[in-house]
Amino acid sequence: MRVSIIMPQFGESIAEANIISFLVKPGDNVSADQDIIEVETNKATMTVTSPCAGRIETFTAQLNESYAVDAVLGYIEATQEEATRLGLDTAAPSKTPDTERTAKAGPNGRTRVQPTVRGLPVPANAAGASYLSPRLKARMTELGLSAADLAGVAGSGAAGRVTIEDFEKFITALEKHKMSGASSMRVAVADAMRRSWTRPLATVGLPVQLDAVLAHRKTLAPKPGPALYALRALAMALSENSAPAGRLVGNKIFHPGSIDVGFAVEAEDGVLVPVIRHADQKGLRDLTERYNELVELARQRKLPADATGGSIATVTNFGTFGLAWATPIPLPEQTLVLGMGAGLPAPHWNEQKGQFVPVIEACLTLSFDHRVLDGGAAGRLLQRIASLMQQPERL
Amino acid sequence: MSLTYLEAIREAQARALRDDPRVFIYGQDVGAFGGAFKATKNLAVEFPGRVLDSPISEDAMVGMAVGAAIEGMRPIIEMQFADFSLVGFNQIVNQAGTMYWRTNVPCPITVRLPFGGVSGSGPFHSQCLEGLYAYYPGLIVLTPATVEDAYSMLLEAVALDDPVIFCEHRFLYYHLKAEKLPDEALPIGKARIAREGRDLTIVTYSAMVHEAIEAANELSSEGWEIEVVDLRSVKPLDTDTIVASVARTGKLLCVGEAWPWGGVTAEIVSRVAAEGFGLLDAPPQRLNAKDTPVPYHPNLWAAHRPTARSVAAAARNLLRQ
Amino acid sequence: MLQTALETKPSQETKSVRDIHLSAFRFMLLARLLDDKLAALYRTGKIHGGVYLGRGQEGLSAAVGVSLQKGDVFAPLIRDAAGRLAFGETVLDSLRTFLGSAHGPMRGRDGNVHRGNPSEGLLPMISHLGAMISVVNGILLARRLQKKLGTVGAACIGDGATSTGSFHEAINQAAVEKLPLVLVIADNQYAYSTPTSRQFACDSLADRAIGYGVAVQTVDGTDFSACLKVLGEAVSRARRGSGPQLVVANFLRLCGHGEHDVPDYVDPELKNSPLGRDCLEVAQEFLLKKRWLDDSQLAAMKEEFHHEIETAVARVQREPAPDPFIEEWCAVASEHLNEGNIA
Repeated sequence: MRVSIIMPQFGESIAEANIISFLVKPGDNVSADQDIIEVETNKATMTVTSPCAGRIETFTAQLNESYAVDAVLGYIEATQEEATRLGLDTAAPSKTPDTERTAKAGPNGRTRVQPTVRGLPVPANAAGASYLSPRLKARMTELGLSAADLAGVAGSGAAGRVTIEDFEKFITALEKHKMSGASSMRVAVADAMRRSWTRPLATVGLPVQLDAVLAHRKTLAPKPGPALYALRALAMALSENSAPAGRLVGNKIFHPGSIDVGFAVEAEDGVLVPVIRHADQKGLRDLTERYNELVELARQRKLPADATGGSIATVTNFGTFGLAWATPIPLPEQTLVLGMGAGLPAPHWNEQKGQFVPVIEACLTLSFDHRVLDGGAAGRLLQRIASLMQQPERL
Repeated sequence: MSLTYLEAIREAQARALRDDPRVFIYGQDVGAFGGAFKATKNLAVEFPGRVLDSPISEDAMVGMAVGAAIEGMRPIIEMQFADFSLVGFNQIVNQAGTMYWRTNVPCPITVRLPFGGVSGSGPFHSQCLEGLYAYYPGLIVLTPATVEDAYSMLLEAVALDDPVIFCEHRFLYYHLKAEKLPDEALPIGKARIAREGRDLTIVTYSAMVHEAIEAANELSSEGWEIEVVDLRSVKPLDTDTIVASVARTGKLLCVGEAWPWGGVTAEIVSRVAAEGFGLLDAPPQRLNAKDTPVPYHPNLWAAHRPTARSVAAAARNLLRQ
Repeated sequence: MLQTALETKPSQETKSVRDIHLSAFRFMLLARLLDDKLAALYRTGKIHGGVYLGRGQEGLSAAVGVSLQKGDVFAPLIRDAAGRLAFGETVLDSLRTFLGSAHGPMRGRDGNVHRGNPSEGLLPMISHLGAMISVVNGILLARRLQKKLGTVGAACIGDGATSTGSFHEAINQAAVEKLPLVLVIADNQYAYSTPTSRQFACDSLADRAIGYGVAVQTVDGTDFSACLKVLGEAVSRARRGSGPQLVVANFLRLCGHGEHDVPDYVDPELKNSPLGRDCLEVAQEFLLKKRWLDDSQLAAMKEEFHHEIETAVARVQREPAPDPFIEEWCAVASEHLNEGNIA
């Protein structure tokens, strides 16, 4: 078999040696340990000896060239028995493994004690798609972004993580688009809606007849809008049972203090929500007066601080936009929002007359935090509001 | 004319002896023999009476250097191996290291340590002690990775008024060559960007700089550009350069040949975590030697310390996060 | 190998034997009174950390200090208050270090006996015993390289320190280099609580000299006159280039290892033997007998020293302590390489 001739380590400080002469030539028979090549190191002249008996097959090294320790200088053809005798035919020593094989037992044969602390699974939020690295967080803070802004970014990191490279590419791509500033109102609403949406929200809807309300309002001055009737009915229903407006924090439900109900007012580039305090204790006339005051203040952007915030539910009237129904989103600190669509003529079966008669019908939708109440309770609340609205003189 | 890392160290000592009459060299076998590694070859002849053979007494060698320094000399102590400096550890850290702080009298000694592994040297001729010396206040600890730095940093070390632990890597002694000696150099205390990169920063020192560069070349063919920072000095540590590099790449891998507990790589990670937390896009990593004495057999030795392959593997791991 | 050029120091006066004895005695008495004061301050809680006194060693120590000349180097150890004073250290500096004054030589960064002034040739000890000897060697070697000949370096150590590797390496090194080192071993029979029977197996520490190839003399440490003679000779021989001189003095430690230590482990037989004599009493008796001193001069001396010590204490106690907020907290002379607050 073929045995390599390699450059030996002549001394700790020797890294290489220069070939100065070959003492034998290819074809020559040599014995083990015979001097076959003369080399020069920076300290002295030394000789390379033959690793075994055999025939010189070839020298791959060249005269007057330097070769490093362990370099192959040539080959010897040796008989199998010679190779076996000298142990040269065993498999080459294993190269340094790149991966470690874990030993099953320790050197004494005892099984290893498994560490209790190491190897615990990484907590779910420290890896994977939702993991934001410190650098990413810092950059997002710098740009005023939050996690919701990353919804449109596909992550190329491990388990779909958005890496800083992904992020910077995203920002660079964005900057190519036409850009206008978002008003502070817009940003505030965005933040509120994002926070609200972190809860599981659901919506139930119920058409309600408005004829009684429409007739009643003609008798009053100033005339309350139909949504005000809904607001009053909501307040009264909640004063009967305030549980649906409770707030869940952890495993506790915090009950509403006073029945303060807000209503949505469209403002430039956003929504304002002035609040009527103790709406359950104000009759329709007082409600209307207060409502008109607040709307005027809102329009002039002069709402005082104590006129907003702290409401337990909001009423929003998208009927003014001509919409039939919608699924509004409650404010982040609220469980309920009641929406009212436009009142539209609809055919209603009149049993007495035996025919369809025209009525004015609007769709009430109640969006709610489904952690606090379920469809049944939501439905019952809507039914109560609808029934209260059929007797507007009691509101 | 090319010269090795070792020859550069000899040239630096020759120049120090020539330029400054206060310099002398003291160590085992440094005189006529020229030193175990020939770092002082011919210097005893060229500078008679200034390259002195000491008995095997590392404690007394360092004590003597301290005394000579108090008296205005600039002694260079050659330890035969870093491992043996431990016999003089007390004098280095408690006598030399505290002299200036306790008495306001500076102690300008230079202790040269041949350190680091060469296959076959075994547990007591291979140790990396830079972390141990950096731990003590009052010492400057240097780890040149290039022939040029071995030269210029040794000259600067001798000129400093503080005790300097000069860690010379034994593998680099004969394996590293350069065309010529440098005319100028970065000052002590500044790290060097050995290779510019974009995707990951490797911070390392001494022989491991070359392993890191080889790993970086391997990763370059895979589309990654790795930045390699050569610390040059372990104490003081150039935190600014390190943090600036991490600011560019977002990922940190510290590589050292020393043991894993504490030490230089842990110090770097700790500082980057504290000062550059918001720069990190992935957890900072370290790669060190295994937590056992340095083995003798080449197979074991090759697996004991980081290599270009293992550095590349660690980097790849980090790049994929 | 060495030149033996003897430089006569201009500051060197010719002192008579009587003057030398009186000078030594003054330092012994001052040291004892200062030690008493330090012990008292310790027991009133005025001293932070340990207090280590030199009772019983004054004769030997003063002899070392008196025999050295200005320009020589001295590495005293724990119980060498007398020697330090004789070499030129002030009472103020001793008190400042013990009382933690910011004006002391160590500025509060080290305390009690760990004090000195390297630029004046008085080396501040580190706690590792035996470590100072090679530093003295280094200074002597440097002077030889600088061609400044004619100085001597003295180091004092105890019986315990002779067991350290540092001691062994250093005296061997001094012998190989043939340095003008005077190494004084104060064998006071105990290293803390360890008697010499547990410290070494040879009959006398002087037996080691032959192993190192150095000259040695043994002396009765309780007899200050004998100490003066032996130390004077040793210093002269070293100065003349005869190589290291070992002096082994035997006596008994007359105090605890530190003032916190009650030395009831000391063999009472030793206390009652000649070894247990108080060198100060022996010296006093010697001088009175020789009529080199009389009772009224002695009383006046004590009065003078008491006054000096009390005044110094009062002054030092009014000095400021180091302020951690003004401190530089920099351990390196090269400020540009200081890492500062890296924690």
